Amino acid sequence: MNLSLNWLSNFVDLSNLDEQTIIDKIIKAGFEVEEVKKLGEGTNLTVGKVIECHNHPDSDHLHVTKVDIGDEVLDIVCGAPNCREGIKVIVAKVGAKLPGGIINKSIIRGEVSNGMLCSLLELGIPKEILDDNSPSLNGIEELDDSFTIGDNEVLKHLGYGDTLLDLSIYANRPDCLAMFSCAKEMAAILNRPCTLPKLEPANDLGEESDFKLSSESHNCPHFIAKVVNHVSIKKSPKWISDILRSNGIKSINNVVDISNLVMLETGQPMHFYDLRSNPHKEITVKDDYEGDYTALDGITYHIQKGDLVITSANEPIGIAGIMGGDNTKILDDTSGIIIESALFDAGQIRRTSNRLGLQTEAALRYAKGLDPLAQQKAVDRAVELLIKYADASGLEKSVIYGSDNYQAITVSETLEHLNALLGKTFSQEEVLDILRRLDFNPELRGEEIISHIPSYRSDIAIREDIDEEIIRLSGFDDLPSTLPLMPQTVGKLSTRQSLRREIEDTLTNAGLNEVLTYTLVDEKATMQTLLPLGEAISLLSPLSDARKFIRTGLFPSILETLRYNLDHNNENINIFEMSAVYAQGDKSEERLAILLSGKLQSSPLLHQNIEASFYVLKGLILEVLDHIGYGKGRISIVENTEATKILHPYQSALIKLGKETIGIFGAIHPRIIKEQKLVPAYYLELNMEALITASPTKIKAQEINRYPSVSRDISLVVKEDIKAKDIIKTIEKCGGKLVSSVKVFDVYKGEHIPEGYLSLSLNIIYESKEKTLKIEDVTPLHEAILNKLNEEYGANLRD
Amino acid sequence: MDVNLMEEEALKAIEEAKDLATLENLRIKYLSKKGLVQGLLAEMKNLPKEEKPQFGQVVNKVKEKITSALEAKSLKLNDLALDAQLEKEKIDLSLDAYTPYIGTMHPLNLVVQALEDCFIGMGYKVAEGPEVELDYYNFEKANIPKDHPSRDMQDSFFIDVNTLLRTHTTAIQMRELEKAHGQMPIKLVCPGKVYRRDDDDATHSHQFMQCEGLVVGENITLADLKGTLQFMVDSLFGEGKKIRFRPSYFPFTEPSVEVDMTCHVCGGRGCPACKDTGWIEILGSGMVHPNVLAINGIDPKKYSGFAFGVGIERVAMLKYGIKDIRDLYTNDMRFLKDFKRFD
Repeated sequence: MNLSLNWLSNFVDLSNLDEQTIIDKIIKAGFEVEEVKKLGEGTNLTVGKVIECHNHPDSDHLHVTKVDIGDEVLDIVCGAPNCREGIKVIVAKVGAKLPGGIINKSIIRGEVSNGMLCSLLELGIPKEILDDNSPSLNGIEELDDSFTIGDNEVLKHLGYGDTLLDLSIYANRPDCLAMFSCAKEMAAILNRPCTLPKLEPANDLGEESDFKLSSESHNCPHFIAKVVNHVSIKKSPKWISDILRSNGIKSINNVVDISNLVMLETGQPMHFYDLRSNPHKEITVKDDYEGDYTALDGITYHIQKGDLVITSANEPIGIAGIMGGDNTKILDDTSGIIIESALFDAGQIRRTSNRLGLQTEAALRYAKGLDPLAQQKAVDRAVELLIKYADASGLEKSVIYGSDNYQAITVSETLEHLNALLGKTFSQEEVLDILRRLDFNPELRGEEIISHIPSYRSDIAIREDIDEEIIRLSGFDDLPSTLPLMPQTVGKLSTRQSLRREIEDTLTNAGLNEVLTYTLVDEKATMQTLLPLGEAISLLSPLSDARKFIRTGLFPSILETLRYNLDHNNENINIFEMSAVYAQGDKSEERLAILLSGKLQSSPLLHQNIEASFYVLKGLILEVLDHIGYGKGRISIVENTEATKILHPYQSALIKLGKETIGIFGAIHPRIIKEQKLVPAYYLELNMEALITASPTKIKAQEINRYPSVSRDISLVVKEDIKAKDIIKTIEKCGGKLVSSVKVFDVYKGEHIPEGYLSLSLNIIYESKEKTLKIEDVTPLHEAILNKLNEEYGANLRD
Repeated sequence: MDVNLMEEEALKAIEEAKDLATLENLRIKYLSKKGLVQGLLAEMKNLPKEEKPQFGQVVNKVKEKITSALEAKSLKLNDLALDAQLEKEKIDLSLDAYTPYIGTMHPLNLVVQALEDCFIGMGYKVAEGPEVELDYYNFEKANIPKDHPSRDMQDSFFIDVNTLLRTHTTAIQMRELEKAHGQMPIKLVCPGKVYRRDDDDATHSHQFMQCEGLVVGENITLADLKGTLQFMVDSLFGEGKKIRFRPSYFPFTEPSVEVDMTCHVCGGRGCPACKDTGWIEILGSGMVHPNVLAINGIDPKKYSGFAFGVGIERVAMLKYGIKDIRDLYTNDMRFLKDFKRFD
């Protein structure tokens, strides 16, 4: 909201306070000053009178003028169509700084010009707040005769030049949206006295009224209506239109302006109805109306059940709390009015206003909350102003529905508790001083300090609220900086968190980048998942169809990341992500996703590349699992027969921990790669929950073998459908404890190997923990192994 | 042959030898079985008996001198040969032939880890909670009233009337307060993803990350909050940054404060990054609202606490100079590869 310093100075003495000091204090007290705005700006301005005006000899629209500014007569060339002899104008002298630039002495098509005649627009005043018939809209401003030639404070005398502080106000301080209570706050912050207009009770002014008023909605608990039978519509006094202008509201006429002014002062949105439009002398608030209704702005809105509507004789006359109706508005010939000052439910006003896209000053104030006494204050103030400035007469007594239900509250706090919570030592006098500044009328009862909370401070209810007021207004600058004194606690990560970090470490070390993708996905993505978790959860009000569902798996997000990077010419996309996924029925689990494509490592000058493949991904995950405590003995890789739409049916596998399937991986299905124009890529998704449940194997140091080992290489020719793993198992089984390791170091197909066969080269290490093995210890065993392989697999040694 | 003359000739020849082959020839010439030194010894039998020992000594000395001269020269020539060999092995040092690739963590996770580690060191535990959360923990327990705007469908991603994607990690705090069953003290940080119904632009993201902290115990003060946050700022941004409190409002804390840190770009002198104020807003915090303690079965008369919430994106953007929040979720390899450490 814009706080006008000119207006504030009517209530709070701002003398000897420069703007920056005021701003600094306001910020420290908890308001952000988003912007400091000037309403109308310009130096070197004065009032002049056009004493001569001729057409420019060399132009069809310029005028050559002589302007009297008191101490001299200036030659000025002016292009405004309304420039003419005899009018008083705003003159920007040479050197004047205007929002659009600096005025220099110049020669315009051969004629000297020593300044500029100004439109208000050129002085930075927004056209929205100018009268419709303001000369500034089509030319230069014309001043009336009350202005004196040579007046150097012309902006101020026009009611402009005000400083506006754009304050952002926290949700708990709606009182600061009303000038009267805002002035109280500013006075407390600046430690200056505050003087507000005294309000006289207006309910009983006038004759008895036969106006009928009721509410059929619990969302309107309080309504004051007052009939004023005679008013005269005219121009507002200057001070009222100045205030409205500073607040960005256009002056319309005295009566409408008063309703707006009172709203700005008290925070209470008011509405005045033309008395003629309510022949039944009746108002009922309803919340079950349905239909179209045209508001003051001339736009037709669709009203639905729940929306609060003001009706008379069952016909709507206004959208309650948001905007009045076109059919009941104040016109130039209005001669009598009905004043409305009511309380409507904040939540309902917000809902209706959001739905209709109608964010009015009134709606904003209702949505943020009102001073419970504001309805009454507004009526009192409006009646006073109407009598004074609109010749109001023929008043009827107020008709009141419901009540404000206001109960004054007191809050008790002790110095001991206050100091203990803040960790700073305040004296009783300091505390009392601040409470007095806030108008909390503090009272001492033994150890207790009792505060009497003003009605507009709806945010103050408990002693901690008082503590906040004290520290807020005394300032945080000398608050000590300490650490909590408390029993020792051990800080640590949970198993899950440690596991996550270990995975991050091993995968980044292996050359993968961690990514972080969005949780929300489109409907298609919910059908493209591995390790199905269940039906995807959908949002009630998504921002778009693309982000409507909570993902049940990570595959679509990772695929999207691959596609994005390929589209941007990034190669070698080797990435991983860990994230929770969710499904209906309270299901959730944390997943690890890995994607490999292109080269995982590449040193072309050394002729060394590691191209992404099924085997690279397999080796990577086995090594990672081994590193984090799930060694090869606990993990098995078995054929995948399920998710063969997403993964290559013959290059994909399941990962099992014991008997439980915990993951799936393999080449992404070539159909997907082709359809989406991707490069071959390999994907893995793993359920981390199983790892968290099963404990990692404890690390146990191995005794270093003192005796040398014997190494034997063999090359076997076997049928190509025989699995290397089975051969290894056979060797291990047959060799017993003397075989300490078996590794495949080459697989060869081609020349010298018969069709349908392949050559498998293995290295076998023989080792004993009891003695140095001799040839005669190893050879018979080695022979036995070869025989066994021949027997079981028909394997022969390659020549 | 005169012994001395031979010695002189031999040493000179050794000295002048240009390569190992020449040196070997010299060794054969002088020291082999048929060599000149051996020849001298053969002449010894012709000498009178009394001269023999002396002559023998002289010849042996000559032999020793030639032997050591040959050895010295051989070492020297070997060194020269090695030098020549090494020179041939000269390589282009400017080539980057081996280019191992070490991956990186996501910058947001780097920040989360740094925060976790900072607080683990002070005895905090790291708590987590579900992202699909009950209204009860997200709002009701956090003292956020029924008609609060964030409870609107317009502002939060609701799933049904009771469930939504959590809008803040405060929901984790509420679960932890409940779980404590009144057992004090509580000291935890809770990082996680949160969601708000905002359109994505350079400074807004419908998904982002927070890390909140919570301490509840006896005699916890606002000054303790200040000290703790100063420690955190020192740890995240390096020592020498000041912090300042400004009043603020959150439904779950009272008093509530906004926390600013000395601008890390200009050091507080004022620059475009801090809009010439010298300060950068980094987090919101406050003393736990007594209603929040009470609803979780903790006696607000006996215990007090503080809570704070850090925006992870905000820290990452400040720290690394990231201008568009969406870059953190685009996962462009060119962007990701630079985050090699927390820094």
